[in-house]
Amino acid sequence: MVDLLEIEAVSASYGRIQALSDVSLKLQEGAIVALLGGNGAGKTTTLNTISRLVPVTSGVIRFDGRAIERLPSHEVVRAGVSQAPEGREVFKDMSVRENLDLGAHVRRDRAGVRADLDKALDYFPALKERLRQKAGTLSGGEQQMLLIARALMARPRLLLLDEPSLGLSPLLVQKIFAIIARLHADGLSILLVEQNVAVALAVSSYAYILENGEIALEGRSEALRNDEAVKRTYLGG
Amino acid sequence: MRSLALLVALAALVALPFATTGYVVYLANLLLTFTVICLGMHLVLGEAGQFSLAQAAFYGIGIYTSGLSGAAFGWPFPCSVLAAGLVSAVVGLLIGGLALRMRDIYLALATFAFGEAMQWVLMDWTSVTGGPNGLHIAPARLFGLQLLTDKQAYPAVLVIAILMLGLAILLSRSRLGRAFRAVRESEVAAMAMGVPVKSTKLIAFALSAFFAGVGGGMFALYSTYIHPDSLGFQTTILVLTMVVVGGLGSIAGAVGGAIVFGLISELLRQTPSYQEVIYGLILIVFMMFAPKGLFAFLGESFGRLRRA
Repeated sequence: MVDLLEIEAVSASYGRIQALSDVSLKLQEGAIVALLGGNGAGKTTTLNTISRLVPVTSGVIRFDGRAIERLPSHEVVRAGVSQAPEGREVFKDMSVRENLDLGAHVRRDRAGVRADLDKALDYFPALKERLRQKAGTLSGGEQQMLLIARALMARPRLLLLDEPSLGLSPLLVQKIFAIIARLHADGLSILLVEQNVAVALAVSSYAYILENGEIALEGRSEALRNDEAVKRTYLGG
Repeated sequence: MRSLALLVALAALVALPFATTGYVVYLANLLLTFTVICLGMHLVLGEAGQFSLAQAAFYGIGIYTSGLSGAAFGWPFPCSVLAAGLVSAVVGLLIGGLALRMRDIYLALATFAFGEAMQWVLMDWTSVTGGPNGLHIAPARLFGLQLLTDKQAYPAVLVIAILMLGLAILLSRSRLGRAFRAVRESEVAAMAMGVPVKSTKLIAFALSAFFAGVGGGMFALYSTYIHPDSLGFQTTILVLTMVVVGGLGSIAGAVGGAIVFGLISELLRQTPSYQEVIYGLILIVFMMFAPKGLFAFLGESFGRLRRA
């Protein structure tokens, strides 16, 4: 089976600070792959190198067999990779509807966008009554839903999810991950960055653990769940 | 309700020259001109969130382009007004290049410096601009018709202002307007959505310069004498104040601010020494009590009254 995403020995830095060194990972079409690790391990940076928000200093990133590490960010979105960034990166002063429209910014097929709006609202019905509301007035959970729905509006083949559980109550985390599982069941490929290791290992098939900008450990999620070192460090016992 | 108000406003604007004196029509011309300049400021600052403190310079480029092209080539005025906008837009595109390298206060200072330099050019390039002595320009014409008075120029000024207002509304509702606002709110998130941030900023600068340039072209329609005195930072600050007092980020705010503050500014002309102080006070009061601008403030107060 062909890898949808293939990252090969990618390094990136912020000025003099080395953020990633020789990171390699693979994701097969239709899979959920988790990217785990502590704060500052380089998880978000990895996603941002794929989205071309952070430049790579060396290495290759292939999407569907095509090198994308030198493309401008809008070309990456057009190629089929879209990101739901971490935290509250919604466009706060714009309406929910406008946020969703921005997700489809690179697309010109109006009918398709219209259909995908219905589909996104079907995944996240809570947003339906709030379309005219400013995104900044949504609750934390709703903003997280909007981030994912907005990323879906690009009709991606690969969804990059950055910390979807961040700052949410356990109940909301459950809800969001149920939707992530549904997206997976519907055939979407997902690269998932999480600090909540237990939840991430439960939903993914394969996982990478980053430490100080390097891949420290990788393996099938099932195996990592039972790995003593992982249990000690990330699962609290 | 809203369309009724618009209809009344339009009727009043059409009837204006028949019911009033030349001075009032002159004032109306000036307010309409500033409305167009404010719409340009609205696009670059209100929508795209980029500081451009060179709007007076673009206005000046428009005035001179229009006045000089009318005199040199005998162009009909729609051509010279359009040329005024386009020349300004090209310069705006160059200044927009700065915007790609800087942000916030640095961008404000850089555009401010450009504005001052431009005024200096207009002041000292005497062979073309007449320098501080100013320049007499031929009246605007269209085929056999000459616009000799404020009243004769008024219909043209009004039509251009309405066209520019329509253009601003269209832009704001378009895909481009959405991209402007996304860049204003978060460049990183905008990039992640596939908004090409750099070219979007460039376009915002060029468009705001286009509006200011057209404003300059409008001014040349009802003026026979142009000079660079009023094309410095004071005018930019006046435009900035109009847009902020009206309500940053809304077209109604930009238009309302231009009209309300334009009137205040005209009234204050009798007392030039207090003018600056009063501008400053108004700005401070608005920042403190109505940071979203006059129209948002009125809207909220009206809403409260209705509920009470």
